[in-house]
Amino acid sequence: MEYLLHILILICIYVILSASLNLLAGYAGLLSIAHAAFYGVGAYVVAVMALNWHTPWWVNVVCAVVLSGLLGALVGVPSLRIRDDYFVIATFAFQVIAFSVLNNWVSLTGGPMGLPGIPHPVILGWQVSTHLEFLLLVGFFCALTLWVCHRIVRSPFGRVLKAVREDEVFAQAAGKNVAAHKMLVFVIGAGMAAVAGAMYAHYISFIDPTSFTVMESIFILSIVIIGGAGSLWGPVLGTVVLVTLPELLRFVGLPSSVAANVRQMLYGGLLVAFMMWRPQGFLGQYSFEKGSGRE
Amino acid sequence: MTGALLEAEGLDKCFDGVKALADFSCAVQERKILGLIGPNGAGKTTLFNVLTGFIPSDGGKATFKGTNLLRLPPYRIARAGVARTFQNLRLIRRLSMLDNVLLAFQNQPGERLRNVFFRPRASTRQEAENRQAALALLEDVELAAKANDPAEALSYGQQKLLSLVCCLATGAELLLLDEPVAGIAPEMREKILSVIRSLPGKGKSVVVIEHDLDAVMQVCDRVIFMDAGAKVSEGTSQEVRNDPKVIEAYLD
Amino acid sequence: MQVALNALVSSSVILLVGAGFALIFTTTRFFHFAHGAIFALGAYSLFLLQVWCGQPTPIALVLAVVLAAGFGCAVELAVYRPLRTKGASPLVLLLASLGLYVVLQNALAMTFGDETKSVRSSVVTEGLDVLGGYVTPVQVATICTSAVLVAVLAVFLKCTKMGKAVRAVADDAELAKISGIASDRVILAVFAIGSALAGVAGVLVAMDVDMIPTMGMTPLMLGVVAVVIGGVDSIPGLALAAVLVGAAQQAGAWWLGSQWQDAIVFAVLLVFLLVRPRGFLGGRLRKASV
Repeated sequence: MEYLLHILILICIYVILSASLNLLAGYAGLLSIAHAAFYGVGAYVVAVMALNWHTPWWVNVVCAVVLSGLLGALVGVPSLRIRDDYFVIATFAFQVIAFSVLNNWVSLTGGPMGLPGIPHPVILGWQVSTHLEFLLLVGFFCALTLWVCHRIVRSPFGRVLKAVREDEVFAQAAGKNVAAHKMLVFVIGAGMAAVAGAMYAHYISFIDPTSFTVMESIFILSIVIIGGAGSLWGPVLGTVVLVTLPELLRFVGLPSSVAANVRQMLYGGLLVAFMMWRPQGFLGQYSFEKGSGRE
Repeated sequence: MTGALLEAEGLDKCFDGVKALADFSCAVQERKILGLIGPNGAGKTTLFNVLTGFIPSDGGKATFKGTNLLRLPPYRIARAGVARTFQNLRLIRRLSMLDNVLLAFQNQPGERLRNVFFRPRASTRQEAENRQAALALLEDVELAAKANDPAEALSYGQQKLLSLVCCLATGAELLLLDEPVAGIAPEMREKILSVIRSLPGKGKSVVVIEHDLDAVMQVCDRVIFMDAGAKVSEGTSQEVRNDPKVIEAYLD
Repeated sequence: MQVALNALVSSSVILLVGAGFALIFTTTRFFHFAHGAIFALGAYSLFLLQVWCGQPTPIALVLAVVLAAGFGCAVELAVYRPLRTKGASPLVLLLASLGLYVVLQNALAMTFGDETKSVRSSVVTEGLDVLGGYVTPVQVATICTSAVLVAVLAVFLKCTKMGKAVRAVADDAELAKISGIASDRVILAVFAIGSALAGVAGVLVAMDVDMIPTMGMTPLMLGVVAVVIGGVDSIPGLALAAVLVGAAQQAGAWWLGSQWQDAIVFAVLLVFLLVRPRGFLGGRLRKASV
């Protein structure tokens, strides 16, 4: 039972991550492999603040979101001037730099040793410590994230995002401030990822940089793509598939030494397969081909 | 050249040593349709690109109702009241016709995130109004039946008409139309031309780039003939047609 | 001096990987991330052949490079070509390539294990003293091999018929096809050559500093950085950039500590992408215009 709750908690965390990346990559067409950096910043800000300053839990989360949002804006700047595939390289660079900072700024982040003993969040006197309680907390944020994404996507703002994705020139000629929209999406996506990081930090109570590498970014991106970029439920489906499938394999008797490798091969392989045969994923609307008149 | 809606003076643009615009000047009067003709590579689309901020000019001035166009990014120019269509027909093909038109409306509260979350009712109300207005626009041109179909389901001619509707939906006073009837069947061509003809009556001014000289004759009050980035002749369509310089340029 | 020597070795590896990557990029116009995996494959093929199959070193070296080239071709035939035929965008190819990299890296880890493997014991590693710095024969070999191979590549591209075909496809694939060049075959050849170069680099690095399944990511990215900075279309530009990147990496390591060396290189890349997106290449980095 505890195990099932654990899986559900992980699913909620990854739904937040993939839904936020979906906003960026699936709706606005801004493909990024820096998402784990925002995830990591969220986790570390919360951890550092909780461990050093003992500030209330929600204050930490707000700070994490703000800081991550600023970082998101920073990552968004190159997207205004650089073409999509080169932009992916730029996000890769950001991701590596972020990881380096987390790994090497030992006095702040504990370096490769990480930060252990992150306290449980305390909400209005109630300490969140059991799996069920965590599930409620994370589940709440997961639902909140999905709701926010839903509102955004269904609004005229969301329509502009899709226009930016398909044909920026058309969007500009229609009077849309494309740059501002891109920056805003980055800030929001980054902020949401930070929330996921905060949840992760409190739940596992220990974080280290290895959870926030380029591979993690690629994993989140795979979830978005396989679930279906540009669809609201795509991230949910993708998360369920990519988080539970490796766990199922474990039941089939896969030795734990290769479990991590198999998990990665799974999402890598699915990524290739989907790109070859169904780039819009299971439920998606967007298949990473430019819609109209790009050239 | 006083009291004109749009005034351009001495515009220059050079690409890799080739002059696309050479000291080009023109004025667009209110509620008039100006035609822009000339051989391929004359600089007509470049002029549009410079005027709408997609390409920086190398020199000269361009003002629209007193506002200097040359320093503004494209989206601000569109908001200021200058809208355009594109030679290679830009539309959001994956979205519905209705969505394409809705995108063109200005001042939508729902496009600002804070309104989406903190003033949801104002946003939905405006969106509903815009939908009505968009459907009305589509009905005017008899496209409303397919309003929810994706734009890519339309024929080429219908797509051209749609892009014209989007241009109208921006509410802009000055419409720059780049080859609005090129390559489409006669029936649709007539429809689009009649829409263009009706625009001054709705308070709009238009500049039309076209190769189809008949269309230009039918629709335009005045015509400018361009070649190699320069204005070669200007006047009524008859005057320009009979101008020896124009005849010579065509024979060249 | 040691820093300079280290930089030279580093630059040589970057140049090899970058040259292969650039070759593939100019002809196919997408980011072949899996190139990093081919690099690692080269290293592990050496291990396989030498340690598991007991082949003598020279044969193992050659075969390892051949295997790397073979894998590169396999990837092209199995994944990229079908996608290209379907008209997939560069972004789709990039994503497929990312997936391939992940699969290949983990395949290596599963076959050979996650820990470091060595082929060094079979190669003499006494160092040479050069002007106060210390360099091993393998490192010297790396520098020389890189310089020679890339020079040969430059000559090949300029003077041979196939080389000219490659350049034609790189310039304008459509036009090349119309002129009768079998661009698919050219691309396959390009993958063979590029992957072979990566394989050589992998083998040399393995002999220098052992191997681990994740070894491909960093050289790949450094190679990409060099390509972006130095120019997709110019080998001299690439060589210059490789030197710059290697120098930045080692200087950064010496000044701030080796843990920051990657971050420094990527910061340099970001600066280039933002400030001089043309790099030394044409305006292809910028967004498409009206």
